[in-house]
Amino acid sequence: MGAVIHARDVRKRYGRSTLALDGLDFDVAAGRIVGLMGPNGAGKTTALKAILGLTPFEGELRVLGRDPRTERDALMRDVCFIADVAVLPKWLRVDHALDYVAGVHPKFDRQRADEVLARTDIKRKSKVGQLSKGMITQLHLALIMAIDAKLLVLDEPTLGLDLLYRRGFYEALLNDYFDHERTILVTTHQVEEIENLLTDVLFISHGKIVLDSTVDALPSRFAQLVTTSEHVAAARALRPVYEREVFGRYALVFEIGKGGAPTVDELAAWGDVRTPSIADLFVSLMNGGHSSSTTASRVKAEVAA
Amino acid sequence: MNIKVMKTLLWRETWEHRGLVWAPLITAAVIVLTALLSTSFTGSVRLDLDGKEQQLFAALATDFSHQRQMFAVWLGALVVPQLFVAMIVVVFYTLDSLYIERRDRSILFWKSMPVSDAETVGSKLATALLLVPLWAWLVSMLASLVVFAIVSVKLSGTPLAPLATFHLGAWLGLQLTMLQNVLVAALWYAPVAVYLLLISVSAKRSPFLWAILPPVLLVIFEDVTFNTNMIAGFIVNRLIGFFRELDLHISARDGDTSASVIQEIARSYEQLGTLDMLAKFDLWLGVALAVIGFFVVVRLRRWRDDA
Repeated sequence: MGAVIHARDVRKRYGRSTLALDGLDFDVAAGRIVGLMGPNGAGKTTALKAILGLTPFEGELRVLGRDPRTERDALMRDVCFIADVAVLPKWLRVDHALDYVAGVHPKFDRQRADEVLARTDIKRKSKVGQLSKGMITQLHLALIMAIDAKLLVLDEPTLGLDLLYRRGFYEALLNDYFDHERTILVTTHQVEEIENLLTDVLFISHGKIVLDSTVDALPSRFAQLVTTSEHVAAARALRPVYEREVFGRYALVFEIGKGGAPTVDELAAWGDVRTPSIADLFVSLMNGGHSSSTTASRVKAEVAA
Repeated sequence: MNIKVMKTLLWRETWEHRGLVWAPLITAAVIVLTALLSTSFTGSVRLDLDGKEQQLFAALATDFSHQRQMFAVWLGALVVPQLFVAMIVVVFYTLDSLYIERRDRSILFWKSMPVSDAETVGSKLATALLLVPLWAWLVSMLASLVVFAIVSVKLSGTPLAPLATFHLGAWLGLQLTMLQNVLVAALWYAPVAVYLLLISVSAKRSPFLWAILPPVLLVIFEDVTFNTNMIAGFIVNRLIGFFRELDLHISARDGDTSASVIQEIARSYEQLGTLDMLAKFDLWLGVALAVIGFFVVVRLRRWRDDA
């Protein structure tokens, strides 16, 4: 089987003028954990909706070899998704939620869901409306983790949860679910929280993919130079894609390893060089666009929130 | 279609809408209570006999064939309020069914499961047209036994005691006839249910208003422009047509003999079944419209993208 997701020139227009997806091209291979990141309104959710067959679009898109527009029902046997937090209805009782998924999903392992739930404080006779937001997410995760799916799509799965639940969520996902055969596609604003578990990143901006890379390849593509005001002018001459100033020190992000771009050695002459974090990279590429010819916009010490 | 999936989907509807389960039980409780408290013979069937009861019941005491008919009409009349209440509950249910899931965004959860939109919409339609009426029928079947027991205790020792004879054959026949009625009603009301689902799947807010407004505006428009009421007649006929057929009303006027009242009983008995509605072109036209509407609803739910 080829790519889990294969997208070519996927376009989606809302109304007459708003272009939510402007020709997406990307592939997601099996066994990857891919972070789809972009600012608000960049098209993340629309892209996920297209992948899940929830919205019509133009272009070519294959998910597990199927067209989500025409083969959604079959596709959903192998694809799971948690779209946003708290979409479980308030009236649903926990044991009924288990009954329901057991009744409609051929790949649901009830025993497994029971095991996962047993680790939480969730009571079987509680209604979703009586659970905290964190517990609702735990319940949803327990249902999803018991489904033997090939692709799991998560859209802001931990939005509005406290740190303990957020940690717990990703730990459970990584330790008890991910097995290097399954594929996970996740969007989130909390980039720092997931950057250690991603194998691939996709940055989306204005409906276009602006970065498509494995995490392993990032050190050979980007470098961050931290320098002082003394050397910053020289460093700027090497055309950083992004620059910020924190407490009198300057952090400049460079694209490296291609024609005309500075090398790590050249940069090292002006200060400390390291690989930018995904969060740094995200801020870099979303400010002023992804183009080495663009003069980096000078953004004052804005620590990514 | 997968039976296990459909069973789960139907259960799901009863979890969400507890009222569907409770309404027939409450109605039955009210009917039983009325039978307990009422001083009149039947408690619920309308018997406007103007004091001719004694004479009539004396005649019926030996006329077993009409006694059985009287028995069937009497207990049959207990089912009518059940079906009527079921219809009202179902109206609110169908209007809610595809609207609430969008409002509380739970549609995103339902759609994350391998259930097709046709199965989902089909389960809601089946709940409205079959599950709830069949449940009402089952409950009324049991309630009719309780009511009969109450009334027979009340009548024992009175001259009317023979009327409290239980006719097993007639009772079973009645239940079968009512089962047929439920199925006829499902066909008759299919276009109404689909219309309500159509509103439910498309209204951005207040589906109730959207359901009422277009027909009311059409009726007013027709009245003002052409000074006719064809649309109103059409709508009213569709809404109460079934219950008009199931009119279990025994009436007598001054000067009626008990023989003519017995004839009235026989006429009413004939009304118990509604199978003759299947010969109506109207009914099948409605079914055809419902089938088309069903696919429109499925399509709208498939591509509706505002959750």
